[in-house]
Amino acid sequence: MTVIHPILALVPFVLLLFSRRVKAAVCYMIAYAAAYSMISFVMPATSGIISILIGATAGIIYRMMPSLITGYFVVNTTKVSEFNAAMEHMHVSTKITIPMSVMFRFFPTIKEESSAIKDAMHMRGISSLRNPMEMLEYRLVPLLMSVVKIGEELSISALTRGLSVDIKRTNICKIGFHFPDLVCFLLCIVCWICFVLHMGGIV
Amino acid sequence: MIQIENVTFTYNNSEEKGNLKNINLSINQGEVVLLCGESGCGKTTLTRLINGLIPWYYEGELTGSVKVADKEIREQPLHTLSQQIGSVFQNPRSQFFNVDTTSEIAFSCENQGLPETEIQRRIRQTVSLFHIGNLMDRNIFHLSGGEKQKIACASVSAGEPEIYVLDEPSSNLDVTAIDDLRDIISCWKAAGKTVIVAEHRLYYLMELADRIIHMRHGEICHEWTSEAFLKMSQAEVEKFGLRPASLKQICGIHRFGAHSSGSYKVRHLAFAYKGEKQSLNIPNLSLPHSAAAAVIGKNGAGKSTLLRCLCGLEKKCSSEVETDNKTYPLRKWAKKCYLVMQDVNHQLFTESVLDEVVLGTDSTDMEKAENILNQLDLLPFKERHPMSLSGGQKQRVAIAGAIFSGKDILLFDEPTSGLDFRHMEQVAGLMQQLKRQGKTLLIVTHDPEFILKTCDNIIHIDNGSLTEQYSLDRAGIAKLLDFFELR
Amino acid sequence: MNQQSSKLQAKDLITVGIFTAIYFVIFLACAMLGFIPIFLLAMTFYGPVITGIPFMLYLTKAKKFGMVTITAVICGILMFVFGMGYFTMITALICGLAADFILKAGDYSSKKNTTLAYAVYSVWFIGNYIPLYLTRESYFASLVSGYGQEYVDTLRAYTPGWMFLVLLAACFIGGLIGAALGKAVLKKHFVRAGIV
Repeated sequence: MTVIHPILALVPFVLLLFSRRVKAAVCYMIAYAAAYSMISFVMPATSGIISILIGATAGIIYRMMPSLITGYFVVNTTKVSEFNAAMEHMHVSTKITIPMSVMFRFFPTIKEESSAIKDAMHMRGISSLRNPMEMLEYRLVPLLMSVVKIGEELSISALTRGLSVDIKRTNICKIGFHFPDLVCFLLCIVCWICFVLHMGGIV
Repeated sequence: MIQIENVTFTYNNSEEKGNLKNINLSINQGEVVLLCGESGCGKTTLTRLINGLIPWYYEGELTGSVKVADKEIREQPLHTLSQQIGSVFQNPRSQFFNVDTTSEIAFSCENQGLPETEIQRRIRQTVSLFHIGNLMDRNIFHLSGGEKQKIACASVSAGEPEIYVLDEPSSNLDVTAIDDLRDIISCWKAAGKTVIVAEHRLYYLMELADRIIHMRHGEICHEWTSEAFLKMSQAEVEKFGLRPASLKQICGIHRFGAHSSGSYKVRHLAFAYKGEKQSLNIPNLSLPHSAAAAVIGKNGAGKSTLLRCLCGLEKKCSSEVETDNKTYPLRKWAKKCYLVMQDVNHQLFTESVLDEVVLGTDSTDMEKAENILNQLDLLPFKERHPMSLSGGQKQRVAIAGAIFSGKDILLFDEPTSGLDFRHMEQVAGLMQQLKRQGKTLLIVTHDPEFILKTCDNIIHIDNGSLTEQYSLDRAGIAKLLDFFELR
Repeated sequence: MNQQSSKLQAKDLITVGIFTAIYFVIFLACAMLGFIPIFLLAMTFYGPVITGIPFMLYLTKAKKFGMVTITAVICGILMFVFGMGYFTMITALICGLAADFILKAGDYSSKKNTTLAYAVYSVWFIGNYIPLYLTRESYFASLVSGYGQEYVDTLRAYTPGWMFLVLLAACFIGGLIGAALGKAVLKKHFVRAGIV
């Protein structure tokens, strides 16, 4: 396990490097290496609450970061239309792909709107945690209002440009299963087999 | 090309304004038709009739007939209509479906199910026609409003419809972006397409429009050719509640304000966004008390950043402010500043106007709050939900809150974007009133007409530094008009 | 004049996308607190309470069969992508479908049904905890390499077998409370503002 896990953790690192997101890749690697050494070297020497604390913080990074970073990589480097093309190849229904492409487009919008609302709250001096329920209301209600409005305008714009479930769309994205995909795929398969064998107590 | 006969339409949703009465209109192939009139006059509704959003998206009671190329709109589904009619809307931020520009331009072609080589050809053609090679393969979230609107036009154009319907496309654009929009529309006109534009700003369409149709209360009440329209005087145009047909007409409207006593002197203002060297560097800036200063400059010059710095939203901004012979660090002074955002919806939080005013303060002085509401003509609405009010009223609610919490310096980001003549006048009146109450105003705006009506001072920013600050006297007005290329 | 057919149209699918996005973002924001161990379990309760606000607004716009199911399936897929295991996809599908049937039975307007549907829907999150019980020993064994023995022991102590039922109930009750909260906010804000 101590070998397979770091190898798999390297996959998103390499992917990020290849897509020229050097900063994210390096930050990720440093965080992972730090968590890894905390767990391997510091934790065995501690006990009690400190051990639990290290387990909680370093453990989360060690276990969750690789998959979160892979998720980050996927979201950051996949164009909506590439994603649609991939889903089409996999014969996934438009009932899933249309909502998902809207989501891709909406995450940055939610971020923009949310930070504008945060600014507005700051200016009115309502950023204290006096009343969590009120805070929640002030953060969520304006956000929902503007997201609903933007969503309506997006619907109109997409519909007047002919988005429909009744017509087969073309897609100009050229995607396919190539050599780099094969390498990643095989590496993960090998690691996964090792993992299953390990779980079964064989290795 | 388009025949509208005896159409009457009432929205099912009573919130929706702009019902239509007895509309008869026929538009020929290749015509550019400009629809104008006050907000709520029905011009947007008329565009929705043509692009099929009525009856396919907005529900309501429709009588009469709307035919495009001799076929009834209501007998064809939206995706069929979309192949003949392309639509561009008001808000550049909300009308893109993809995150990257190239897929966005391909979007309407892909929806038509065209073959891939044809789509590629159309993208190349559109890119060269609109000169947007530099915008390809970019993240749309990183584009300016004007660039987004260009992409929206390009996306519609790639679908090669015969008719283009534009609903207030210039509302959120600055002067340069409006010029680009005009070029796009003239491309369409040159290609023999039919273009229908509902719009408040008229000047940029004067050379292009074949007919100008004025609507009021859901009816068509006047029709001019652009020659006839241009012959009307400023006063006549204003009587119809319209923005000027030529920006040259606005030169005479400045009202000189009273000269104020002191001023806030902002010194050594420096700020850099993360990862950038220096986004803003202004050694000296002076804001006269109880006066209004306009911040002008190109897109991306740092105007909005300046506002964010002054009201304390950019914590890393360093500066100090001198007033009445006392010097304050910016952090402290910023507490007296309040920014009224371009999208005022972001800064309304509570369930009633009165609650909104007293929000964030410990004071429960309802009398004072009602007093402020009264001054801003909001007292009748004190129990209403702020979000149920009109745009201008919302803006005033936000201002009321700022005044109640003792803010003396009000900063505005594009307070008149998308407003018709009457509403722009209202905002201008409000600014004068705020000045009389002793508030100091700083306004980022692209609207020369509005500047001349309200401002005393111009702050011209370019590339993060102050190019010039001048007062709006005769020489100042000349400089201002030069900046907007109006002379 | 709008197509009254019960088939999902592009417009409905866009609505699904928008609300799933906002639901999921708020959900993730809640889950971020899960870094603190005890919140990892409390999440089953306060998560559904808070997300009740966007979800009740969603239900005012979702009037066709399948919309809630699609939301659930997408949430399941996203949880899978973020490394929460495949059980969530199954629970999400079941809960989403069940919620849709409940809504349909109430003709998409019954207030009782929307409350119940949201509570049932909220149970999808339980899928994330299934490995904790179904494959308990191997799951805890695999955790040791990351979190250390002591953390795992603490977690094990906090999650005895009956805890699963508590978590299940927490999701459901959290959903009921979230629905009530969501409806209160709807009435207080969205109805008065003319959004619904």
